[in-house]
Amino acid sequence: MDKSQAQDPLREADNGATAHTLRIGVYVCHCGGNISDVVDVERVVQAASGLSNGVVTRHYPAMCSETGQNLIIDDISNEKLDRVVVAACSPSLHEHTFRAAVARAGKNAYLYEHVNIREQVSWCGKSDPDGATNKAIRLVGAGVAKARLLRPLAPISMDAKRHVTVVGGGVSGLRAARDLARIGLAVTLIERSASLGGHMAQWHLVYPTEDKARDLLRELVDEVIGDPNITVHTRAEVIEASGYVGNFLLRVEPEHITVETGAIVLATGFDLYQPQEGEFGYGQYPEVITLDQLERMLDPEGPTSGRLERNGRAVNNVCLIHCVGSRQIEGIHQPGPDGKLNEYCSRVCCTATLRAAGEIRRRFPRTNVFELYRDIRTYGRGHEEYYDEASRLGVLFCRYEADRPPVVSPAEPKKGPGLICAKHPPGRSGKLNLVPFSAEEPDDSALVVQVKDTLTFGEELEIPADLVVLVTGMVPREIDTLVDQLKLSRSADGFLQEVHPKLRPVELAVNGLFVAGTCQAPMDISESCAAGSAAAAKAAALLASGRIELDPFLAPVDLDVCRGEGKCVEACQYQKAVTLVEVERDGRKVRHAEVNSALCNGCGMCTAVCPTGAIQVEGWRLDQFDAMVDALVADYAETEVSHA
Amino acid sequence: MSTRVHPELHRDIARFGGDDITKCMNCGNCTAVCSLAGDGAVFPRKTIRYMQLGLKDKLLASPEPWLCYYCGECSDTCPRDANPAETMMAMRRWLTAEYDHSGRGRRLYTSEKAVVTTILKAAFIPLALLLALHAVTGFQRIVTDRVELNTFAPVMWVWAVVLLHFAFLGYHLMMNALHMIQHIMKPEDPEAKVPWAAYLLELKSLAIHFITQKRWRECGEEHDGQWLTHLLLVSGYVIMLVLVVGMLGWFQTDNIYPVYHPQRWLGYYATLVLIYASAAMLIGRFRKRTQVHRFSRPTDWLFPSFILVGAITGILVHAFRYAGWPWPTYGMYLIHVMAMVAMLDSEVGIGKWAHMIYRPLAIYLMNVKKRTQNQAVPEAGALPTN
Ligand SMILES: Cc1cc2nc3c(=O)[nH]c(=O)nc-3n(C[C@H](O)[C@H](O)[C@H](O)COP(=O)(O)OP(=O)(O)OC[C@H]3O[C@@H](n4cnc5c(N)ncnc54)[C@H](O)[C@@H]3O)c2cc1C
Ligand code: SF4
Ligand code: SF4
Ligand code: SF4
Repeated sequence: MDKSQAQDPLREADNGATAHTLRIGVYVCHCGGNISDVVDVERVVQAASGLSNGVVTRHYPAMCSETGQNLIIDDISNEKLDRVVVAACSPSLHEHTFRAAVARAGKNAYLYEHVNIREQVSWCGKSDPDGATNKAIRLVGAGVAKARLLRPLAPISMDAKRHVTVVGGGVSGLRAARDLARIGLAVTLIERSASLGGHMAQWHLVYPTEDKARDLLRELVDEVIGDPNITVHTRAEVIEASGYVGNFLLRVEPEHITVETGAIVLATGFDLYQPQEGEFGYGQYPEVITLDQLERMLDPEGPTSGRLERNGRAVNNVCLIHCVGSRQIEGIHQPGPDGKLNEYCSRVCCTATLRAAGEIRRRFPRTNVFELYRDIRTYGRGHEEYYDEASRLGVLFCRYEADRPPVVSPAEPKKGPGLICAKHPPGRSGKLNLVPFSAEEPDDSALVVQVKDTLTFGEELEIPADLVVLVTGMVPREIDTLVDQLKLSRSADGFLQEVHPKLRPVELAVNGLFVAGTCQAPMDISESCAAGSAAAAKAAALLASGRIELDPFLAPVDLDVCRGEGKCVEACQYQKAVTLVEVERDGRKVRHAEVNSALCNGCGMCTAVCPTGAIQVEGWRLDQFDAMVDALVADYAETEVSHA
Repeated sequence: MSTRVHPELHRDIARFGGDDITKCMNCGNCTAVCSLAGDGAVFPRKTIRYMQLGLKDKLLASPEPWLCYYCGECSDTCPRDANPAETMMAMRRWLTAEYDHSGRGRRLYTSEKAVVTTILKAAFIPLALLLALHAVTGFQRIVTDRVELNTFAPVMWVWAVVLLHFAFLGYHLMMNALHMIQHIMKPEDPEAKVPWAAYLLELKSLAIHFITQKRWRECGEEHDGQWLTHLLLVSGYVIMLVLVVGMLGWFQTDNIYPVYHPQRWLGYYATLVLIYASAAMLIGRFRKRTQVHRFSRPTDWLFPSFILVGAITGILVHAFRYAGWPWPTYGMYLIHVMAMVAMLDSEVGIGKWAHMIYRPLAIYLMNVKKRTQNQAVPEAGALPTN
């Protein structure tokens, strides 16, 4: 008996049906008009019913709905379907949905093929509906061709460590660690600096509650330290990482410890933007500082014990310049040392600045506060109130355009002993008629800031300043070692990039890695905590059962064909996913490739280089591709509308 | 050239009212809703901005506050409750004080004590003068068995003092108006000269606006009532002014003319109109129903109160004379005169008089500027609005 024939799962699953006698159901989704407004779904269905296996062909307004899925389930049992093809939106949205439906009907979930006719057809083909319809017909044809060759696959199941490592002990990392521990998982928290808390530990009062940041933090830190499920390592860093979801291995220096962990939450936070030398006078005049320095100054436990002073002198005029180092525009701003512009908005700085400005006006009513902004972006709950309040307290706002930034320069030396009231002659009483504003005018500020103010009809204003505060935002932190070791992807702006910004916001592309807080994007404390909790929930859900199921799309080796040349080992990007092993076969020692199913990502690099075709990715086999290509170039003349 | 900011200025102007203005976020809703803000005049946001930043010279050179008639729509619309309309009012008070280099305006607006002492001082003058006159000429000259007012207050003496007083007040008012013109017409570009012809050709608009204050009507029909009340008040006030300043010898007489005689009906008309208009204003302020009346300050109550007191005491003088009661007539006359002198001294230069002059003057100067900038202005006196 032919061994390979007997093991052919296709035959087992389909009761001996050959590829051309299989019963296939084809479903074309309207996506509520997203598809059907452009693609003629009737014609696609008609074309599909003309294919040899198209036993059931339907179109429906929303296949992903309960009724849409039931359509598939009922057809599988009534029409004895062997395969299902759905032409709808992107597989990243609903492939899982339909696989699950197929499984509920008692079929193997991998006997399903998904065709994308929304992103790849209707959305990009609006201007040519006929062409789009023709393309949809061919793609569905290719889907059916592949479906004929699908084989039932079994998901891979593995043991997983019920342990999570959180990297970074800022507020987001602390929140994640504490939440994980409370769910019952063991947690290792690795913090690079000497203490926990991150940037939040530097702030005194924080919006939107005006809480004392360190009190809030102390509560959380105490909980984390007191939790028996959490092991904290400070002054520690991950320097090497290996393994895979459920079974990562981390080497931590300088303590030389190794952590075996099931999942990793990255919460490494942000860095403060460091102004360039001379940017708005930074580094040039001691009166020019950054927002974080101002926050420290306002802190009663800070360097000035909460006094607002510079060079030992009281501050009468403060000028805050927004958007320094954020929202940079090519051609206007100087790129940083890495040659990059920070095009994003740092989001927290507007509200943080308004908060600080209001505090100054409240605590030092004689101090004038000016805010020079590009836009006020008080986006969150309770943020706009800070803008209102700052105005009410007399903070003065000017608005500048990005291409006309304010200019900071030293004030002209004072002219003479400068006295008040030249214009106003003595009043009737014979007393000097003092004009209050010039009498109080603290005109001896060290700096002046010049700004073209669009709120005052483009007037060039000159603002005296004893203190110029640059509202510096957030920049991505340097975590190259982690990025290298864990194969993290970064977005164009340099922050860590999630799988999908809307639908999978705390998952990273590598399975088992999660992201929390400002290492992903600028966030405030509330959002960082929300992200920490979300990452914790995701990681806990992944490891809850102690076992992990993975998609079986990996590259098994056909031992009959493999000659052990090892081209695949060279091509593979993932460490130890494929190795050469020596085994005894029919009394002879042979070398052949072996794939570690947990490490293999199913990328297919090996398939491309294998000279014999011995190594192929399940679900994406070469014969399946061949069939798809044939279907794509087949003759559809009868059903296609020619381009008139 | 850049302009230095003086953030203390708005704290100074806040002493004249409108202290909510720091709340303004410069959205411009107020300007959008204002029916008087036209292409040539972008207010109230612009002047509010000058005030917030303390661009004092710009503010002094702005005629805009005088173009606002306080309909209050901007305050109703403002999303920040910054009360732009009241701020415009405060700016008018502040400007009035700034134009007045004697410092009186500032004192009267910012100190209630100053108001009281000014009133008392002014009221004391007629009393003192009358006492001095009779002390010199002998008190027995006063006729007491019948009413002969001119033996108590000889009309020629009174008239002479009135004329002197008015000359003094008029001089002040002229000087203040001159300061206003200097500020507003100060050229941004020292080269730019405004030709005299422009001033001459626009005089017609000055006269029209002075008499009718017709711009007010552009605020919308719902404000026509206020405008009409105001117009009545002005007519009564002007008639009284002419009778007292220009014709006192004819007006203050011990003859009792028949009712159809102009001396009587002119006096009646003016008195009735003044009572009606001033009472209406006082009731409005008391009820605080409309925006314009929400933020009354002591100086705002002063004028209508004085007018009411003046009209009522005037009627009483007339009535007592009819009744043939000499001392009540003389006493009431003295009270009447004291009240009117106090009114003039505390009002001229800061209150309604100032408004009556500054408003049409501002429109006039705007038109003069417009004419200079754009020789093709179609019609004299037409200040373009919306
Ligand atoms: C001037 C200013 C004022 C602000 N004011 C407010 C406010 O009033 N209200 C508010 O809600 N938000 C405010 N924020 C935002 C707030 O600071 C952040 O939301 C919060 O600190 C983010 O926390 P995090 O844990 O994400 O990052 P971080 O606070 O940066 O913490 C990251 C931690 O990770 C550690 N770490 C980094 N790399 C590694 C590594 N490789 N290995 C191990 N550990 C590592 C760091 O040492 C640090 O402890 C303000 C921000 C700024 C800049
Ligand atoms: S949040 Fe920061 S970066 Fe964004 S607009 Fe405000 S100051 Fe600029
Ligand atoms: S006064 Fe009010 S309506 Fe006018 S610009 Fe300011 S906030 Fe806007
Ligand atoms: S009160 Fe009326 S006239 Fe004055 S600025 Fe406001 S809307 Fe214009």
